[in-house]
Amino acid sequence: MGAYILRRLALAVPTLVGVTVVVFALIRLVPGDPARLVLGLQASEEEVQRLRVQLGLDQPLPVQYVRFLGRLLQGDLGRSVVTGEPVAREIAARLPATVQLAVASTLVATAAGVAAGVVSATRQYSWLDYLVMTVALAGISLPVFWLGLMLMLLFSVHLRWLPAGGYGTPAHLVLPTVTLAAFSVAIIARMTRSSLLEVLHQDYVRTAWAKGLGSRAVVLRHALKNALIPVVTVIGLQFGGLLGGAILTETVFAWPGMGRLLVGAIVARDYPVVQGAVLVFAALFTLVNLAVDVLYAYVDPRIHYG
Amino acid sequence: MRRYGVVLLVLTALVGALVAGAGDPVGAQAVPRQLRIAIGIDADRLDPAEQTTTTVANIVDYMFETLVDLHPTKLQVVPRLATRWQISSDGLTYTFTLRRGVRFHDGTPLNAEAVKFSLERLKDPRVAMALRFLVQPVQSVEAVGEETVRIRLNRVTPTFLADLSTTQFAIVSPAAVQRAGDRWRSAPAGGGTGPYMFKEWRRGDSILLERNPNYWGKKPLFDEILFRVVPDAGTRLTQVLAGDVHQAMLPPAPDVKGLRRNPQVKVVEAASDRVIFVAMNTQWGPFKDVRVRQAMNYAVNKKAILASVLFDLGTVADSPCPPMMFGYHRVREGGWPFSPTRAKELLAQAGYRDGFQVDFFTPTGRYIQDFQFAQAIAGQLRNVGIRANVTTMDWPSYVAMIQTPPERTRIQMLVLGWAWPVLDCDGVLYGQFHTSSHPPRGLGPAFYGNPRVDQLLEQQRQEPNVERRKALLKEAQEIIWNEAPWIWLWSQKWYVVTHRSLEGVLIHPIEKWTALCEPQEPAVGHHCVNWR
Repeated sequence: MGAYILRRLALAVPTLVGVTVVVFALIRLVPGDPARLVLGLQASEEEVQRLRVQLGLDQPLPVQYVRFLGRLLQGDLGRSVVTGEPVAREIAARLPATVQLAVASTLVATAAGVAAGVVSATRQYSWLDYLVMTVALAGISLPVFWLGLMLMLLFSVHLRWLPAGGYGTPAHLVLPTVTLAAFSVAIIARMTRSSLLEVLHQDYVRTAWAKGLGSRAVVLRHALKNALIPVVTVIGLQFGGLLGGAILTETVFAWPGMGRLLVGAIVARDYPVVQGAVLVFAALFTLVNLAVDVLYAYVDPRIHYG
Repeated sequence: MRRYGVVLLVLTALVGALVAGAGDPVGAQAVPRQLRIAIGIDADRLDPAEQTTTTVANIVDYMFETLVDLHPTKLQVVPRLATRWQISSDGLTYTFTLRRGVRFHDGTPLNAEAVKFSLERLKDPRVAMALRFLVQPVQSVEAVGEETVRIRLNRVTPTFLADLSTTQFAIVSPAAVQRAGDRWRSAPAGGGTGPYMFKEWRRGDSILLERNPNYWGKKPLFDEILFRVVPDAGTRLTQVLAGDVHQAMLPPAPDVKGLRRNPQVKVVEAASDRVIFVAMNTQWGPFKDVRVRQAMNYAVNKKAILASVLFDLGTVADSPCPPMMFGYHRVREGGWPFSPTRAKELLAQAGYRDGFQVDFFTPTGRYIQDFQFAQAIAGQLRNVGIRANVTTMDWPSYVAMIQTPPERTRIQMLVLGWAWPVLDCDGVLYGQFHTSSHPPRGLGPAFYGNPRVDQLLEQQRQEPNVERRKALLKEAQEIIWNEAPWIWLWSQKWYVVTHRSLEGVLIHPIEKWTALCEPQEPAVGHHCVNWR
């Protein structure tokens, strides 16, 4: 297992280098001049040109890329054009908020999604099944900015139970978590339901019923565990995506996460921050995928990595 | 079943704990310990010298002070850190006397050396001072004793005193700047003289300031001020309605009408110096003909668009320069008249009886209802036979397009806004209508040029006599207005919504709100933010 993990990590390196090339090229292909955007419309062209030289933007693209890669090898992501601060510091300031929200909403979505999926699958075609699946459909369909604003109107403006956006206390975490989880719950519930239904029709489950096991033992211990592989995959993908930030939820709830950092950097053509944030995002996504693969072996002992 | 009961209990307790942790409600009428203000963008840098955005400069104004203030309505320069000043008869030497007993937040005294350090710093190429041309007239700064500073200019600069009132010219503590080093622009602790001191900046989330117990002026009312970064306009409004914050900038424009009638909150609004216009490329096709440009102005019904698309958040332009600026001259009462008949006549005279087709660019979300009013304008142009194809793009691409030189530019006509940190017509006239403003050197997308206008604009920059300068600016405004390189639209309003108990918040024409106290000069009126 250890050797497997090491090999996977080594394989991630070319992927990440590829990501740097693509991001570096893409962000520079779109029009826009970081120096002008930083200094504003009223600044004179002389000042803008001076800043371009300071930032090295007057150099040919290959030179800029090699410089960027050279710094990266020394663990330096460069400095933000907009704030003048090291990119690593910018990302470090935003990552905790993103991880908090991603973990919280994944936990909530997993608990609620798996539970709903099990309820639905064990009572297939009952009114409860239809109800759960209708709610799940609504969860996928509701735009998060709308759901977020509605939750804020109810819980912040009318009931005054929870703060209307912001970051800091556990209370601030509740509404964005619910908003973000609403989407994932729906996907996890549907995946759990269909996967569990398939397993419930297998022979060994009939045998389990036949030996007189209780429904809790049959469904949860025998069937659910074997139905979990696709569910774990979906949860992993959702979680990995959330680590890259959830731009709409972060915007509506004024949550200082990676999504807003990245989009803000794109809008300001803050090249170093875009490169750094995407690189961190790609690395995290790779790690989450690896963790999911390792989890497979735990969920299904037949899977071995050698 | 019992187990579910326990789970339920735990859940209830958890929710209870979360709710209790939500913090003290803001609704109470006593003066809040912490004043909370929702802003739409995070700061980029907090060094006063590196300010480029008025909202960020507005935050910096709570911590840092300038030598002089510009009274927002009377356009009069009034004392702040300098109590008086003298200007030599040749207009080249300015002698300032500093206020006594003022100390920076780090305890060091405000003295002539600190002023010299602060102003010379603005010339340092390592400081990203966007409006560096404002310091170019400064030849030398000399500390004459502890409390007298002498500034020598290399050329007569009529706007110099007013320029000194902009945030970039704030006086900073040399000791604090040196101590902070690399951290200065993100954590300018100890560096200012203002009523509040820097405490903490949480990236993307908030900026926290604390009371300066030794402030020289009126004692600050609140223990702390928290600026909360809330990018979504709807959320900013929700936070005010929920009592989470006491003030929010720019709630959604469509909500402003309803908010004006809401007794729980106050809408504070005022005209700003941001002029909104449609620039016509005067070197492109039909727009080379002044009659066509005038026809475009006749074809657009500014008042109707303001009322129906902009929720009255603007004032119709009646001059190339907005009213609150020095040198403003009203060229046409009520703005350019709306007359489609006259527009058609002029088009026919110019040989465009059947109109023409034109590419019309606009940003989205940069100015109030920009994409929407661009479509309204296109609709009205269609009535006189001009087919304008409205296209939008993201802001960086937009700016890049404007910066293209004339031989390669795609610009035929476009929406733009222009504002200036100093309330003087020079900013808009020189910045948009002098030949030096042509892209890529400048950002005047109309590519307008008139030798007489160039001459007038250069002369007024050298003219120390106030009345003669006004006359030069007046002539320039008249020529530019009638040659119509723009469709003259309006100047935008700027607005905040506040808790009903927060009093005395004013909106400055440069898109700032009152940073606690207005100019400290009894003669022109003195006034502060209050809680009632």
